[in-house]
Amino acid sequence: MSILVIAEHDNDSIKSSTLNTVTAALAIADDVTVLVAGSNCQGAAQSAAKISGVSTVLVADNPAYANQLAENMRALIVELAEGKSHLLAPATTSGKNIMPGVAALLDVGQISEIIKVESADVFERPVYAGNAVAKVQSLDAIKVITVRTTAFEEAGDTGSASIEEVTAICDAGKSTFIGEEVVVSERPELTAAKIVISGGRGMGNGENFGLLEAVADKLGAAVGASRAAVDAGFVSNDMQVGQTGKIVAPDLYIAVGISGAIQHLAGMKDSKVIVAINKDEEAPIFSIADYGLVADLFEAVPELESSL
Amino acid sequence: MKVIVTVKRVIDYNVKVRVKADGSDVDLNNVKMAMNPFCEIAVEEAIRLKESGVATEVIAVSVGPKACQEQLRTALALGADRAIQVESDEQLESLNVAKLLAKVIEQEQPGVVILGKQAIDTDNNQTGQMLSALTGMAQGTFASKIDIQGDKALVTREVDGGLQTIELAMPIIATTDLRLNEPRYASLPNIMKAKRKPLEVKTAEELGVSIKAHTKLLSVGAPAERKAGIKVADVAELVDKLKNEAKVI
Amino acid sequence: MSVYRHPYKEADFVVRHLLAFDDFCRDNTLDDLNSDFCQLILKEAEKFAAHYLVEQNRQGDQQPAQLIAGKVIETPGFSSSYRAFIEQGWPSLSASEQYGGQGLPNLLAVACNEIWQSANLSFSLCPLLGQGAITAIERHGSTALKQRFLQKLVSGEWTGTMNLTEASAGSDLAAIKTRAVPEDDHYKIFGQKIFITWGDHQMSDNIIHLVLARLPDAPPGVKGLSLFVVPKYLVDEQGEPGIENDLRCISLEHKLGIHASPTCVMSYGDENGAIGYIIGENNYGLHYMFSMMNHARQGVGVQGLGVSERAYQAALEYAGNRIQGTDRAGNSLRIIEFGDVRRMLMLLKSATEAMRALCYYAGLETDKKNAVADNTEQSSQCAARIDFLTPIVKGWCTELTQELVSLAMQIHGGAGYIEEAGVAQLVRDARILTIYEGTTGIQALDLVKRKTLLDDGAQAKLMFAEIEQTLAQLRESPGCDVMYHNLNTALADGRAALSWLQANPGESSCVAVYYLQMWGYLTGGWLMAKSQLIASTLLANESPDSDYLQAKLVTTQFYAEHFLVRTSTCLASIKAGGDTMMSLSEQQFFSHVN
Repeated sequence: MSILVIAEHDNDSIKSSTLNTVTAALAIADDVTVLVAGSNCQGAAQSAAKISGVSTVLVADNPAYANQLAENMRALIVELAEGKSHLLAPATTSGKNIMPGVAALLDVGQISEIIKVESADVFERPVYAGNAVAKVQSLDAIKVITVRTTAFEEAGDTGSASIEEVTAICDAGKSTFIGEEVVVSERPELTAAKIVISGGRGMGNGENFGLLEAVADKLGAAVGASRAAVDAGFVSNDMQVGQTGKIVAPDLYIAVGISGAIQHLAGMKDSKVIVAINKDEEAPIFSIADYGLVADLFEAVPELESSL
Repeated sequence: MKVIVTVKRVIDYNVKVRVKADGSDVDLNNVKMAMNPFCEIAVEEAIRLKESGVATEVIAVSVGPKACQEQLRTALALGADRAIQVESDEQLESLNVAKLLAKVIEQEQPGVVILGKQAIDTDNNQTGQMLSALTGMAQGTFASKIDIQGDKALVTREVDGGLQTIELAMPIIATTDLRLNEPRYASLPNIMKAKRKPLEVKTAEELGVSIKAHTKLLSVGAPAERKAGIKVADVAELVDKLKNEAKVI
Repeated sequence: MSVYRHPYKEADFVVRHLLAFDDFCRDNTLDDLNSDFCQLILKEAEKFAAHYLVEQNRQGDQQPAQLIAGKVIETPGFSSSYRAFIEQGWPSLSASEQYGGQGLPNLLAVACNEIWQSANLSFSLCPLLGQGAITAIERHGSTALKQRFLQKLVSGEWTGTMNLTEASAGSDLAAIKTRAVPEDDHYKIFGQKIFITWGDHQMSDNIIHLVLARLPDAPPGVKGLSLFVVPKYLVDEQGEPGIENDLRCISLEHKLGIHASPTCVMSYGDENGAIGYIIGENNYGLHYMFSMMNHARQGVGVQGLGVSERAYQAALEYAGNRIQGTDRAGNSLRIIEFGDVRRMLMLLKSATEAMRALCYYAGLETDKKNAVADNTEQSSQCAARIDFLTPIVKGWCTELTQELVSLAMQIHGGAGYIEEAGVAQLVRDARILTIYEGTTGIQALDLVKRKTLLDDGAQAKLMFAEIEQTLAQLRESPGCDVMYHNLNTALADGRAALSWLQANPGESSCVAVYYLQMWGYLTGGWLMAKSQLIASTLLANESPDSDYLQAKLVTTQFYAEHFLVRTSTCLASIKAGGDTMMSLSEQQFFSHVN
């Protein structure tokens, strides 16, 4: 068995989601190759080579892969799929964008967002917004898989894989990258942060998220939100933690003014320690919180900030 | 220009799913079903394309048993012009659905195909991307804005870091994210009109697609439960616990 | 409070199976109408209610409509919800197609009204009164009036009100003093009306008031009342609202419940007289009002159903989540596991189902009447049935609602008495239902005197005969023995009550409410018995939804055991007669303090 992991990177370095995915790959088999496809991505390739357990890094360095456009990426991956038993990518927006097309071109199914490797062809994945876990067996010769990163530890950095250049250039010419509005923040990225503090509808408005930001700045935390807060227009969608938003599993998750709809819980319940601050003591969030504080958030949060 | 919009019949998002006692699957017998919320957004976007003069006809397509005609009627009530049901008894896997849809696209030659980014039952998030690969049409997933400009389309996508805008050569396949639009409600006069709009039924055989299984569902279980911890009296106690007990700050 | 979810399976069971709506549609060539389509409409109504009305219900309770500088300003948010309501075409549901309506059966209107009323009783009253104005003008108004007012009332762009009550004319409308003076092609209206629901607001472009008033030469009493259309803004040549009419809201009542529904004191003709147009003929006003009364009164019964369903859902959610106490093994218990909480939930569930069956059944009777030609034998049979059912639907459902919302609060324990839980609002909102559109006492007198004694119990006996048929089916059906036995006893109670009243007509006013209650439990029981039979048959035929159908068997049985048996206490009180209650002198009522 031979596994190809599609790396997520910013051309200079590897993103942590790749490390989780390698761990999932190693749970299937030992022979793990990582593909770094990008433009001027040698830096990322170098860091991929250091991932523990990776034997080979393939580098496809070409402007066609600069923005990981789905049409180009899937064509490249299909070319590299020969002889591979598994193709894995993190279940990030990038991995989700690319991999189903790969599966379709190979005429195989995809197993999305696995949370556990049972054997080389049996995996567990959450369904129904995390209300159930399905155990599925792949019947295809090549298994195309995306990996829920929070379910796997990050691989170490003690590896020394060989680096091979890939010369294939796949440019479908169907799509062009125009631009990006990256949310600029001093704070860590939501999915990578060790501490996340999130606000819900109880925050009342967008300005009040400033209270959370003050705490986040002291803790080096990322700020998230529930779907209710996003729907109410308090904050933008990229802050949404939940089944249809971002899945996070930090060391500490602080839920403020969040009642705890199942949709939200599905996105954060794997956090190591959960704190809930809510004035409604019946709020479902308390049923999963390690530490619950029944209090008015407008008093408790500033107090928390000043006591840190 | 025609727009095809796909709708899936799924368990209503208000219904709490139960796992069957024998662990074979979730129990969907007689639970309330509804249109997948992401498909509602897709239908809304398709109707807006027609209202703004970009599209001339909106065709709603669903793959599923006869019961999914209810969701197609809803799509018609919302403003779709006609509907196609591709009859299938079982819950088809994404690739099979994509193959059936690819045949419908071949027959209808739409300029835009809009799908929900995922269905809230299986949470696969695959069909749109597979359809793009099968048809060779350009792909804009997780769209928060779709702007058709003649022979190209600008699609703004919700990506992990923020928003990304790409330019696609028409025809295109787009999948919807939450912020694309706020779906309307069907008005009573439009529900009445929907009764008389055409709904065509096709089969996989007619479309020349052979259905193939790619995965086997072995079992379904309840997720691991997390137990409630303790209530702290005040912020001071909370900070103390986080520092000294949990050791996370 | 819990989210509101439409009991769509219940609605479908009643419409499809109990009322055989598909047969009705087929028999009356109602093109492509059927139960499936009914479900499609109700699903969309539920979505609308969930999005626009449910959350505003609480807001309306806390921020009532206000009278500011002579204008009633409704609860924030209501106006945009109302605009959405008319944009979606909901007011036009059952109005005739000639005036832009959808011409759908009354049964669908009843089922939709249940949804609006579960979601937001205060809001729902506004379009409901519009329906009344539409009916009055359509049935009795001149062509000119119809042309001027109907289209916009049907679309909901204009709303309607009913102006009957005055300070000294409540249940007795004979005391109405408001005057109407003829002038040119119209009348000038002078007087003050009270308790005018949604009498003023800023949600619509115009408000069309229907006002009962007295012409100068009118005979005294109720035979001297005429009905007038009095618009807030006079309608110009183009059919648009123009000059402001001489009428205004001079104060708002501070009420126990339905806070968001402005209850206005309306003053007409403070300056030169409010311009009004007569509906139909002189002095026929009350007659026209009565022709809408069945519809309006049944509508209040449905309000009881809507509020009860909401109360049941709130109690159910609370009972399923509230943890109190532990079992012997030390596991914590939710209160839904306790016997007494189960008792209360079952009372709520089974009674709500019986009310729905009765409200929808009565609703379809109107469609049956509409489907046959006027002045035929069939038509008068339908009319007699509707007349008989109306006080039962209104009186029994709304009285039962009081018991049910109170039980829902009880299930909440102390939390329920606190406003935050939301159930307190339901208790307060529900309280008006037994009062407006004719108190329970008025309904009961109507049932005893006009609907029972006046026709020598003919309609009552027809009902008995139909119940007898159901009993015959129950006797043959395995598993229905409790229902058979209890319905049989209740039927005997009903017959005994009728005989006693016919023998003692002079005492009917004292025991009328018991008689009404008895009919409520009996007709509710009859429809629950039919439901039980249908559910058994469907189960025997391996109908797929066995979970729902088995629950139906249980709730119908529970109804038989706990509600149907109440007919015997009703009968006992009827038989006790009026002697005891009339025997104290007024002085003796004070005997404990004087």
